[in-house]
Amino acid sequence: MNPTVMTQPVKTRSAAPKGTSTTPARLRASVWGVGVAMGLSLLAPTGPLQAETKTAATAATQMATTVPALVTDQQVEWILTQHILPGFDQLASQSAALAQTANQTCRHDDPALQQAFADAFDAWIRVNHLRFGPTEAENRAFALAFWPDTRGKIPDALRQALLADAETTAGFADPAAFATQSVALRGFYALEYLLYDATIRDVAEPAQTCALIRAIATDIAATTAAIRADWHTGYADQLRRPGDRYRSDSEVRQELFKALNTGLQLLGDMRLGRPLGGFDKPRPKRAEAWRSARSLHHIRLTLAAMEPLALALAAEDTALADQLRAAFDKARARAAALQDPTLASVTIPAERFRIETLLQDVTDLREIVATELGPRLGVNAGFNSLDGD
Amino acid sequence: MGTDAVSEARSKSRPTASRRGFLAGLLAAGMAPQASWADIGSPAYLAAGRTMDGRFLLAGLDHTGRILFRHPLPARGHAATAHPTRPEAVAFARRPGQFADVIDCRSGQALTRLTPPPGHHFYGHGTYSPDGNLLFTTENAFETGEGRIGLWEASTTYRRIGSIASGGIGPHDMRLRQDAPGLVVANGGIQTHPDSGRAKLNLPAMQPNLSYLTLEGEVEHQLQLDGDLRLNSIRHLAMRADGTVGFAMQWQGDPGADLPIVGLHRPGSTALLIAAEDPRLRNLQGYGGSIAFSPDGHEVAVTSPRGGVVQVADCASATLLREHWLTDVCGLATDRSGFVVTTGQGRIARLSAGAVKDPIDHDLAWDNHLIPLL
Repeated sequence: MNPTVMTQPVKTRSAAPKGTSTTPARLRASVWGVGVAMGLSLLAPTGPLQAETKTAATAATQMATTVPALVTDQQVEWILTQHILPGFDQLASQSAALAQTANQTCRHDDPALQQAFADAFDAWIRVNHLRFGPTEAENRAFALAFWPDTRGKIPDALRQALLADAETTAGFADPAAFATQSVALRGFYALEYLLYDATIRDVAEPAQTCALIRAIATDIAATTAAIRADWHTGYADQLRRPGDRYRSDSEVRQELFKALNTGLQLLGDMRLGRPLGGFDKPRPKRAEAWRSARSLHHIRLTLAAMEPLALALAAEDTALADQLRAAFDKARARAAALQDPTLASVTIPAERFRIETLLQDVTDLREIVATELGPRLGVNAGFNSLDGD
Repeated sequence: MGTDAVSEARSKSRPTASRRGFLAGLLAAGMAPQASWADIGSPAYLAAGRTMDGRFLLAGLDHTGRILFRHPLPARGHAATAHPTRPEAVAFARRPGQFADVIDCRSGQALTRLTPPPGHHFYGHGTYSPDGNLLFTTENAFETGEGRIGLWEASTTYRRIGSIASGGIGPHDMRLRQDAPGLVVANGGIQTHPDSGRAKLNLPAMQPNLSYLTLEGEVEHQLQLDGDLRLNSIRHLAMRADGTVGFAMQWQGDPGADLPIVGLHRPGSTALLIAAEDPRLRNLQGYGGSIAFSPDGHEVAVTSPRGGVVQVADCASATLLREHWLTDVCGLATDRSGFVVTTGQGRIARLSAGAVKDPIDHDLAWDNHLIPLL
């Protein structure tokens, strides 16, 4: 993982939130009660909670970038404590920091706000493949990331909100009310428009835009805190001790395998495939987060997040792990060599091939995952999903 | 087809009461036929599948999901349909297959094998006429690309007696209408030819539709969806007792489009698209695999093996009620208490009161559809 984006190391928590509530009012109290410098602790740890002590004691503070030798029995615990839990801890803490910053300064070009946005968005991209359990409750993942927005719902929703009457605008300050808004008005991609797209931002007076920036940032903090809380207060144990949501260790591994596939699919089909379009019809404005020039960055972040997960799932099969590592090395080197933050070069025939080649690298990776790793984990290459009718 | 076949179709096809009602009537009158669905050993469901060593079969399952019989198939199967009175069913080849096996559902024993005429292949679905004297099969007349409905005499011999136009290209699922005599056909709109396997030959021009046909082959009503939805192939159907048709679509355009996958329709009215503005639409990944109504008809469910999800929606408000996550889920049927699903990982389970219940895992991969028999 690129160390330059792993900013703001966070101290290990001694305990997780006591009785963490998912209601926005409670979260607001905890988020605003403590300064950003305290990192995760602003998510309101006030005392040890027995059920979480184990998690807190073993979970890393950062997502792992390298994978030690693992035996099959250690896979799930390693992925939980070195990948999932630190990923969502980081997401919650960076999002809390984003909300904190937005409430101090909401000028769109304030470097502190833009940096806080970048850090929180990075944290989301590192976990956005983990689309099961806590992220799927209450539409949380969509509330954080409504992308791709193929029908232009986000700018529509933003224009409408920016031109709303005073009463509606006043309502943005109420997190519980804002959480009932359309997902198109919430999350990182809506915030990106407000920070980086003048045609949207300047629809309204700065005060109106400011209110909306604060509402979205606060909402992101509440949503990510709720996801984190659910992971720590129950869902992690569902993975550790199958029986309820999962029937066996094998099913848990299959869920994690699916998450790997989700990440690689997002990478290939969405982050690369959508802007590439057809050779005769490149679609540069379909690149993810091009307004903030984060398109290529997200591709690199995704590769960095997928590699440890893939290697951990390969576990004892060192030959397969080597094969995966080589395929990731290839894709990572290709992504590192690209010098096109927004992927605008999809329209330039002489340069487009570099992005096409990276897509091919990702396709090769997916092939190894589907044909080698899947069967090892007892996952048939989707009899229906790959070949339906 | 000849006019004789047409008149035969007309003369022998009348709507009747439900199979259960029919049976109850016969039994009450003390005149049950020699072989009926009431016989012990008849399965509750049929499903095609693939064994671990790569062979194909049609299985009969009881209400708890246990396998009662396995009928080997020469290649991959798809759907099946049950005779309204005799304990008999037809298992169809998956497109572009050219076999349909008629089996005795008490034992799984093969009775006969149907082969489409030269120049035709099956699409994998079919249905009997209400009296069981005719079998209808969706077919591709692949030299012209025209969708056809094959007609088979089903009272004794399963003789081919002709075909009628399906009303479009790529007829896939097909049901008997409940509001009037006739058929409703999902013309998926995608042209294929066996020489090029399952390659889609006409995506730029595709135009799916839902066609309501008389048994003489006239199109009485047709639903076409406009605009972006032209690339949404109408594939699978569910029939509610009041004649409302549920249809599930498969998106052929760019991935990531947020277009509805399920709709409800009644002839003569516009379609009601389900969850059209709900972001969870994209959890289906543009692909509806099977569709079914709840026992009371208030809910409609769709499976997406690509998304590994079943979505259940409220029919009246067209809003999404809940999601169930199951890897490679595709087969779906109405159950007494809700829905039953099957997966490519061999699982069969009930969806009841918002939860996945009573799962049983079999050592095979269940194919796209689960066909309820009783």
